Amino acid sequence: MSPLERRCHWLLHAYPAWYRRNRADEMLGTLLEASPPGSRWPSFRDVRALVIGGLRVRGWVWWLSILWVVLGAAITGYTFFVTTKPFTNADFWIPLWNTEPKVVSIAAYLSVAASVLLTIPVLVAGFVRLRVSEPRGWLRAAAWAGAWVAGLALMRQAGIWSEYPATRCGNAMGCIVPQDSGPAIVSWGELAICAAWLALGAVMTQILAGPAHGWDAPDTSSRPSRKASL
Amino acid sequence: MREPTYFVLASLLDGPLHGYAIIQRTGELSGGRVRLATGTLYTALDRLTAEGYVELVREEIVNGRARRSYGLTPPGASALRAEATRMADAARLVTDGGRDLKAGRSARKASPA
Repeated sequence: MSPLERRCHWLLHAYPAWYRRNRADEMLGTLLEASPPGSRWPSFRDVRALVIGGLRVRGWVWWLSILWVVLGAAITGYTFFVTTKPFTNADFWIPLWNTEPKVVSIAAYLSVAASVLLTIPVLVAGFVRLRVSEPRGWLRAAAWAGAWVAGLALMRQAGIWSEYPATRCGNAMGCIVPQDSGPAIVSWGELAICAAWLALGAVMTQILAGPAHGWDAPDTSSRPSRKASL
Repeated sequence: MREPTYFVLASLLDGPLHGYAIIQRTGELSGGRVRLATGTLYTALDRLTAEGYVELVREEIVNGRARRSYGLTPPGASALRAEATRMADAARLVTDGGRDLKAGRSARKASPA
């Protein structure tokens, strides 16, 4: 297997497994034929088209669910990061979240808002997408509900653990009194929660791993075809 | 119908083609303007198959790898023809009727509002 072939094969993982089973071999052949002879890497245009095509096949429910999970991981990762810094009097409201650079802390606040807003619509969209009426549909729907309960538990736990520096100020809302400052107390628990978010993302991808409603196009194997060997 | 879709259908007018041949043919037909990436081509083929415009006609094994050829269906051919007629009509507004159009505008300008 040439380096180009190996990389193209790896790149096709942008598509879900059920799609790859039917199409990956054929697409790999086309990719290799379309690449200039001797090239070791697929072109930027090919990479972009495959990633976009893969996202399209996976569907927007998968996309938004993964966004929710990634936001959760990013928020807890950021909380972990800021607890490694010394504690200053600027850290109030959500404790420690006013660290420099400002852009990052604003992005963190927006991520919190977005992940809270996404919760209910994406949960419901997932149930629609999983089609409870189908055989094994109930099982997948139950797994889906479980994944979201786990996600909400992670959100709550992260909220509790990120509040702990506030207790040092003797104020539940954080440090409003300016003379409070102190050394860093690293919150390793946030790192564990961040890892749990990423694991949850993998579970959600597994649950959503079937074709979405109305997908029959790539199912070419059931059509009459004439096979010939060259 | 978007331009790449139009050229994909047009490339199948002379008979079924496999993936890479479609990429080459669309390039030729569009004078190099439409350069389909592999991912884009298969997204288009999935959609066109679902719409019934294109169908799988042949499956072969080349160099140990599946190679499928796709052909235009009768609905696909008529959709392509309808699109070509629509574009020809739109083009005629400018190419053939250009003088009338200009005359019409100056006539409107001259008439009292």
